[in-house]
Amino acid sequence: MSKPPEAHVDGLTIAMPKGALFRDAAERLRATGIEVPHDVGRKLTVRTSDGTTLLFLRPADVPAYVEFGSADCGIVGKDVLWETDRNVAELADLGFGYCRLVVAGRRIDRYHEGAPLPTFLRVATKFTRSAESFFAERDLPVELIPLHGSVELSPLVGLADLIVDLVATGTTLREHDLVVVEEIAESTARFVVNPVRFRAKYEAITALLDRLATVAA
Amino acid sequence: MRLPAGVRDWLPHELARKREIEQQMRAVFGRWAYEELQTPIIERFDVLERGLGEEATELLFHFNDRRSTALALRPEMTTPVARLVSTRMREAPLPLRLAYIAPVFRYYEQPQEGRMRELTQAGVELIGAAGIDADAETLFMAIEGLDEIGLRDARFDINDARIVDGILEGVGLGGDAAREAKELLQRRNLVALRKFDRPALVDFAQKRGRHDAIAQARSICRTPASRAALDELDAMLERADALGYRSRVTVDFALLRDLEYYTGFLFEGYVEEIGFSLCGGGRYDSLLPRFGFDVPAVGWTAGVERLLIALERRGKHVRRRRHRVDVLVAGSDVVAARERSAGNVVRYAGSQLSDEALVDEARAHGIPRVLIALDGTVRELRVGPRVGDLPVPRTPSNWDAR
Repeated sequence: MSKPPEAHVDGLTIAMPKGALFRDAAERLRATGIEVPHDVGRKLTVRTSDGTTLLFLRPADVPAYVEFGSADCGIVGKDVLWETDRNVAELADLGFGYCRLVVAGRRIDRYHEGAPLPTFLRVATKFTRSAESFFAERDLPVELIPLHGSVELSPLVGLADLIVDLVATGTTLREHDLVVVEEIAESTARFVVNPVRFRAKYEAITALLDRLATVAA
Repeated sequence: MRLPAGVRDWLPHELARKREIEQQMRAVFGRWAYEELQTPIIERFDVLERGLGEEATELLFHFNDRRSTALALRPEMTTPVARLVSTRMREAPLPLRLAYIAPVFRYYEQPQEGRMRELTQAGVELIGAAGIDADAETLFMAIEGLDEIGLRDARFDINDARIVDGILEGVGLGGDAAREAKELLQRRNLVALRKFDRPALVDFAQKRGRHDAIAQARSICRTPASRAALDELDAMLERADALGYRSRVTVDFALLRDLEYYTGFLFEGYVEEIGFSLCGGGRYDSLLPRFGFDVPAVGWTAGVERLLIALERRGKHVRRRRHRVDVLVAGSDVVAARERSAGNVVRYAGSQLSDEALVDEARAHGIPRVLIALDGTVRELRVGPRVGDLPVPRTPSNWDAR
């Protein structure tokens, strides 16, 4: 593997999310003319023939790479931006990767039909920051339980009364007899950029932004 | 035995680097005829609130004294200087050229690099001077400042706070919507700006350039204030060109500074590889009137730690100059005193060391001479470094020697 170049040197360095968003993000970049490989395997970074450097990152790490300028720009879900609160400029809504951040509970508890919530409410989530601000805005005292996976299990076994989670199709909720109690926000993939790099590599970044907008239309 | 989050110690070799930058900035301030002043770290809460606006008080470390007077640590120097000028310096002939190099404190919930709770600001205020001459003075001084410390490719974006108001008026946004749009513009959140359904606004948020960008802005800005501001930016670019700064100064209409007291010209300096600005400033004609002194003012400030980060990333700090010691003296206070009064830096070794230990100590610290006083006679030893044995003492202050 070639040595990863430093982001400020020449062509753009783009932080790409591995996982659910990768296929669409790669597709969209390819449509702008960047040769994103189809199979990244275990590669961490690739340099394309046009001088673009791609970094393949866990989605939650994209904002940090961009804020500190190790990548000039990146593609990341809005949900990740809520959670990380990094100083990056959001230039475009790429439209794909649609999902909703929701509060959900067990159907039999009828919270979605207005049944009163427990006085000592427990909420399990992977989205601690978003959940915290959602309940704080409503002055609802909650015990937040940060989890790292399979959040939908927690209400079934009595760990939590509610969960805050991302829902794409709703299949996972249905399978566990969970229902949406309230929608917090909608998320899609965003094109983000380091604020100083936007200035320093203005031509390259705005050109990519324009092409991203054109291919989406 | 731990430090609070967001503050740091400075070991001697680290502090030496920081002091060097401060000295370089001080030299630039001096060349432009600015005089350094100092104000207390603690201010009354209401004074800072008056200067910074209510929103910025979230940034304050605040507390009460025993009589319940609300106090706070200063988060920047412009408000304390404005307070001082509007009280004790009211009668001084204007304009005033004042400089400071001083620690300031900000309450960040989650401190990180470039967002420390204690930081050092080096900056100036030009008080009692309106107009483009004064604005240009601050910009060109900032460019010279960054040149002085070796960041000769630093770039500067300029704007004027009156232009964004002209644009918002031009696209028909007012009140809360205008306030929100301004905030989004500053963060360059194009996604949220598109929701206002004002294409010109989104266009502006990504508009950088020179005379071309200014010409384009003229087609939207109708307020006299914003049009005057655009004329001044045109003139500023020309003056920058004449100084050879053509490739370094650009107009960016989304450049807005965090503090609400700015009323006119604005700028920020940055280098490509660091994700935050290194210095910035602008015109704040509304600040001194808040303290009952109706004079215009403009200023700029640099974050000394940020400058250090920028230099360090470039490997420019490697000139780690060690503290120079001229002579190691053992056995006589009198001999040591005589050496000091001759202008030498003297390390005093006491009276119980052997020749061998003294030579080792001198070699370890790069000291060329050793004076050993015994029974009224003084012997001198010359010490050179052993080949392949350059002195790197394994002391805590050199733990990162590489």
